Amino acid sequence: MANLRMWIAVLVLASCSNNESMDIDTAGSEPMGFADDECRQVGVTELRRLTARQYDNTVRDLLGLTSSKAASFSADEHVGPFRSNVISAIGELQAEQYMNAAETIAFEAVGQLEALLPCDPADVGDRPCAQQLIAELGPKAYRRALREQEAERLLAVYDVGDAEDDFANGIRLVIAALLQSPHFLYLVEFGRKDEGNGAIAPLTDHEVATRLSYFLWDTMPDTTLFAAANAGELTTNDGISVQVDRMLADPRARTGIASFHLQWFGVDELETVEKDPRVYPEFTPALAVAMKAETAAFANGVVLDAHGTIATLLTSELAFTEDSQLLTLYGVTHSMDQGLGIPVPLPLDQRAGLLTQASVMARHAHAEQSSPVHRGKFVRENLLCQILPSPPPDVDNTPPNPDPSASTRERFEQHRADPACAACHDLIDGLGFGFEHYDAIGRWRDLDGIHMVDASGWIVGTDVDGEFDGIPELAARLAESTIVAECTTRQWFRFALGRGETLDDTCTIDSLARELTEGDGSIEGLIHRIAVSQAFRSHRAAPIEPQPQQPRGDER
Amino acid sequence: MIDDRSDRRFSRRRILLGVAAGSVLGPFVPLLDREARGGSPLPFPTRIILLFSPNGTLHERWVPTGTIDDFTLGPILAPLEAYKAQLVVIDGLRVIHDGLGDPHQRGMGALWTGTGLRSGPFVGFNGGSAGYASGISVDQSIANTVGGESRYRSLELGVHTGGANVWTRMCYAGPDQPLAPADDPQATFERLFAELGIGMAGFARLKAERRSVLDFVTDDLAVLARQHGANDRIKLEAHLTAIRAMEQRNETATPRCDIPTLEFGLDPDANDSFPEVSRRQIDQLVMALACDLTRVASLQWSSASSIVRFTWLRQDVAHHDLSHLGDDDPAMVDQMTAINRWYAEEVKYLLDRLAAVPEGNGTLLDHTLVVWGNELSRGNSHGNHPVPFVLAGGANGRIAMGRYLRYDSIEHNRLLVSLCHYMGLDEQEAFGNDPSRGGLDGLL
Repeated sequence: MANLRMWIAVLVLASCSNNESMDIDTAGSEPMGFADDECRQVGVTELRRLTARQYDNTVRDLLGLTSSKAASFSADEHVGPFRSNVISAIGELQAEQYMNAAETIAFEAVGQLEALLPCDPADVGDRPCAQQLIAELGPKAYRRALREQEAERLLAVYDVGDAEDDFANGIRLVIAALLQSPHFLYLVEFGRKDEGNGAIAPLTDHEVATRLSYFLWDTMPDTTLFAAANAGELTTNDGISVQVDRMLADPRARTGIASFHLQWFGVDELETVEKDPRVYPEFTPALAVAMKAETAAFANGVVLDAHGTIATLLTSELAFTEDSQLLTLYGVTHSMDQGLGIPVPLPLDQRAGLLTQASVMARHAHAEQSSPVHRGKFVRENLLCQILPSPPPDVDNTPPNPDPSASTRERFEQHRADPACAACHDLIDGLGFGFEHYDAIGRWRDLDGIHMVDASGWIVGTDVDGEFDGIPELAARLAESTIVAECTTRQWFRFALGRGETLDDTCTIDSLARELTEGDGSIEGLIHRIAVSQAFRSHRAAPIEPQPQQPRGDER
Repeated sequence: MIDDRSDRRFSRRRILLGVAAGSVLGPFVPLLDREARGGSPLPFPTRIILLFSPNGTLHERWVPTGTIDDFTLGPILAPLEAYKAQLVVIDGLRVIHDGLGDPHQRGMGALWTGTGLRSGPFVGFNGGSAGYASGISVDQSIANTVGGESRYRSLELGVHTGGANVWTRMCYAGPDQPLAPADDPQATFERLFAELGIGMAGFARLKAERRSVLDFVTDDLAVLARQHGANDRIKLEAHLTAIRAMEQRNETATPRCDIPTLEFGLDPDANDSFPEVSRRQIDQLVMALACDLTRVASLQWSSASSIVRFTWLRQDVAHHDLSHLGDDDPAMVDQMTAINRWYAEEVKYLLDRLAAVPEGNGTLLDHTLVVWGNELSRGNSHGNHPVPFVLAGGANGRIAMGRYLRYDSIEHNRLLVSLCHYMGLDEQEAFGNDPSRGGLDGLL
């Protein structure tokens, strides 16, 4: 079976042995001739299935039902750190999960039938009222105009349900059918093929509306977006910009912005992190929830309220929480003269933005001790987009046992003494040791057991190489790094398009990254530019004939 | 917690047709045996169960000593002593590890498919990236032939199998079509048994309604599949195949299996619930076979590179981390032995349960073959030879049991061929990427 995929989503450090491996960042990106022009190449857009969260949000907005039905779905796939079901096909189990969820939702929806109906069947008659409902609900469920034949087929489903029981039962079946249709479950795109340039076709208005709403809101388009699509306003940069402005100002954007940052920093499922209660009795489910909420509020405060930059995200000393347990962990209190909703400043020499948040520190640590390795690896992979290989066979990668006679740093340094490990760990541990002031739940410490904390570190293989002491210093360096800016751009690209980038996206990503570093640096600006980019606004169908292409990672 | 969950069970039935909650749950009586006792001497169906446990074993503690039919089990397989006459311990098989991916990925992808990995986004320890397996797995290949005779073509159950990626998937409907195992015992219960409680009249109506909805979905998928190419078409056609299987199930007779009573109320994802989830999934797997809901099943304990912490064995280091330690580390040897022995005890529990279901003059175990594999030979070498395989059960008389078979680095694809032969796919000459050389010599 020929392989039709082209994967370059990750930049893997195939060898950790020398700094040459760092140059691969640019080695694969030949100038494509459009540097100052619009990027014309676009990676293949594969069919995407709604994530569990998108499913729940969409059902909420379509039918007004808020209880989660997707919690029992099989796990979502990931693109980089972000959930996106874009890789594999589903099997019977998942099709059945969709059927069960659809039947349950339909049952609940007809429990509040009046709220759902655009008409009174007593006035207009059962079947005409069902037709009206189909005409209203169908386009919302499919996120586009309903074709005449589709409406007829839905009415036939209604007829079966009505014949088996009554009007409400017919409506119930219509809803169950809509929710199992591939037009609901997948983000189906064809583009405007007649206007396309070869395989690349500009998206229809409704397809743009759908991409925008799942990008920024993680849910289906609202009435205004549908109206803009119906009016043909989403095929121009201006039309899209108007909607992006409006959508970012809408409370729903706070879901999307939070979701990006929670996933980027790995804390999206913080509630599943387990800590050793003998060492960290404070780490209760409530505290984990507060930590995660703080990261979400911080991201929204920086990106949406303060129109902030990567530097703001990485260096702000503000804590966006009123949770007394979490503030206690940070060693501060919420002063009485401060109003609620006002961020609390933390000690500047201790805290610097997302990297030192309790959520991030708790997530990237062991159950009973900190983890310089996990933390260093996290920075290397998620902020620098330099994916490290896992440890080779035959090495001891068990974390050293807590041993009060040595500091964490000393114990992890011993484990790095093996030359087989040192090459990679030089890239990891120099970053990771910088976090040693934060214990496994993110609390500041000057002492690690009886040992004075040594948080001096080093960073190599970047454009901001050098030594540093503690994370505020490291964060200040990273905030200036064009590699971090380029990585941030890539992460947003993956999040926005729900797929990994390919060679064909190089021009887009390079140009977005350049505009981020050369402009005012605001994340909102980056979001805007992604939304109007050729990649976001067009669809490149998977080739019908196999056309294997070299993954970028294999070129080396 | 328990109350909340049992409410959910009843509400599922209520949703399915407004049947009053609280219908009496009968005692669990196997369907087939009852029919057999009713006079019609039907032959009992032949079943197969695939089992997976991760991170390799310790060969020297796994391998039996002795000869082909006079052997002593090693400490890891010792819990299966009572079933020695119904075991075939197979030593010396090699799982081909060519192409993309790291050994955990390749071993998992190849275990039941006998194929290599496609390209994809999953980064392994050698720095390269790989995707899902490039072929169908043996259970699905079998299910394509025998699956139509039971309500479910096959069942894939899991215990803490985790997210969706190449490490966590062993069953494949085809290239790039991994099948997600069901990890939640409660959801498994609802899937397999909840509908059986709605009565004949309810079932007739449910069928008619589902028929219309599934027809509708089928038409949408068929049209879309024609309009797409490459991987998109694979996805839509796989979805279509799934819906068609559901349609077919919808048209089959109402199962006349009494509903088992099971109590749950556990968090299926918490580390320490692992043993409990394992037992509850085994219980339901056995019931599903006893009711002839399926003849092809699998149970996957955790995933390749499993990081389960065996706290109930007083261990606090994750299984994968432990498996990397050197052979001269006594802690590694003791704990890896304990873990693999624990899995053997779970296998024994499965065999116990199968043996407790009467079928004619024998038991369900007599008509079943259990096949237990692993993605590696050994954790600290990441080897692909010898990967430990154990067969168990009566195999409906088709395989001589009570043997210890030794091979000299033979591709395990030939075992997969033998499994096809056991299930009646006599024409199968090769499986996966290995050239056609038939089944494993001397097995069947």
